[in-house]
Amino acid sequence: MRVVVAEDLFLLRDGLTRLLAAHQFEIAAAVDSAPGLLCALLEHRPDVAVVDVRLPPAFADDGLQAALAARREVPGLPVLLLSQYVEQLYARELLADQAGAVGYLLKDRVFSDEAFVDAIKTVAGGGTVMDPEVVTKLLGRRSRDEPINRLSGREREVLELMAEGRSNTAIAQRLYITEKAVSKHTTSIFTKLGLAADQDDNRRVLAVLAYLNS
Amino acid sequence: MNLRAVERVLPGSPNAALALVAEARETSVRALNELRDLIRGICPPVLADRGLGHAVQALVLDTPMPTTLDIDLPGRLSAPVESACYFAVAEALANAVKHSGARHAAIRIHHKAGVLRIQVADDGAGGADPAQGTGLLGVERRLGTFDGILAVSSPPGGPTIIAMEVPCELLSPKTSSY
Repeated sequence: MRVVVAEDLFLLRDGLTRLLAAHQFEIAAAVDSAPGLLCALLEHRPDVAVVDVRLPPAFADDGLQAALAARREVPGLPVLLLSQYVEQLYARELLADQAGAVGYLLKDRVFSDEAFVDAIKTVAGGGTVMDPEVVTKLLGRRSRDEPINRLSGREREVLELMAEGRSNTAIAQRLYITEKAVSKHTTSIFTKLGLAADQDDNRRVLAVLAYLNS
Repeated sequence: MNLRAVERVLPGSPNAALALVAEARETSVRALNELRDLIRGICPPVLADRGLGHAVQALVLDTPMPTTLDIDLPGRLSAPVESACYFAVAEALANAVKHSGARHAAIRIHHKAGVLRIQVADDGAGGADPAQGTGLLGVERRLGTFDGILAVSSPPGGPTIIAMEVPCELLSPKTSSY
């Protein structure tokens, strides 16, 4: 799997490329600025890009802007963004084109390498991975009289894990319940929220996130 | 503290050291989260990245009340003005959420002819009084340092409208390199 890495700090960039190489990723390019990232993405068309939000030249959200620009040229180009903080506004912009293949994680998560590598693979496969912080915030802003408050405690847990981009199998493992129980919960969630049920994991995540984002 | 304890117990009892390391890791995760919240309270990342308009948009996304936005701000303002205005809007919106019983709020931010005009309105119960320690006095003082003013209209029964005006120039037209 070919990957482009964008991170301005040398040590972190080096650490990321080593980690990815150790997991059999092929590093197509490792860049240290937003313009460099845009060029690398358009030139190499990687299977996935791992991008720091904060990059030169402005050290603001340049990484996000470059990734969004690349996705306008190459729709659905898989991008996993890393940041020191998560912003709903940025999550929303990533999700806006409904194409999926996006991820948005706190940098802290990089240090749990299995989960991080899984996240990269999910995004490369067209899936969507949102940081638990994003999901908590999306859920936190719902007002009291909305359908989402008709969910049971367990259904809410399942919904949170779904919104993070986890498959039924992963949700079952996490909650120590059977996959059959998970699909029962998801069916119930979709009914209560008035969403069309979808067996496809990727489309399902997008439906849930679109609902939470609305 | 934990890590110093690890140094002490590591040679003798590695298992105890492991537990201490796990605890130290949890503590550092918690510290990082607190630091993030603190930074958001002092200088929200979106404000620094993109300026007042987007920061208010992000604020509204984090607010559990339906809020309409009308923003016409074709450039950045100086950092102190952006910060003062951001926290002014945040305070007014928080009051609407906490005290007014409103169902809906509206924020309007326009810059024209060297004046930034901000309005935060809600359809709540009204009766907001800056003298009653709602934090609006602090906002007024802070805006005052830029020759800005704040006016509150909040008759009993509502609606509440908080209007602010700050004379200031745009630093640069909104540009995007992409």
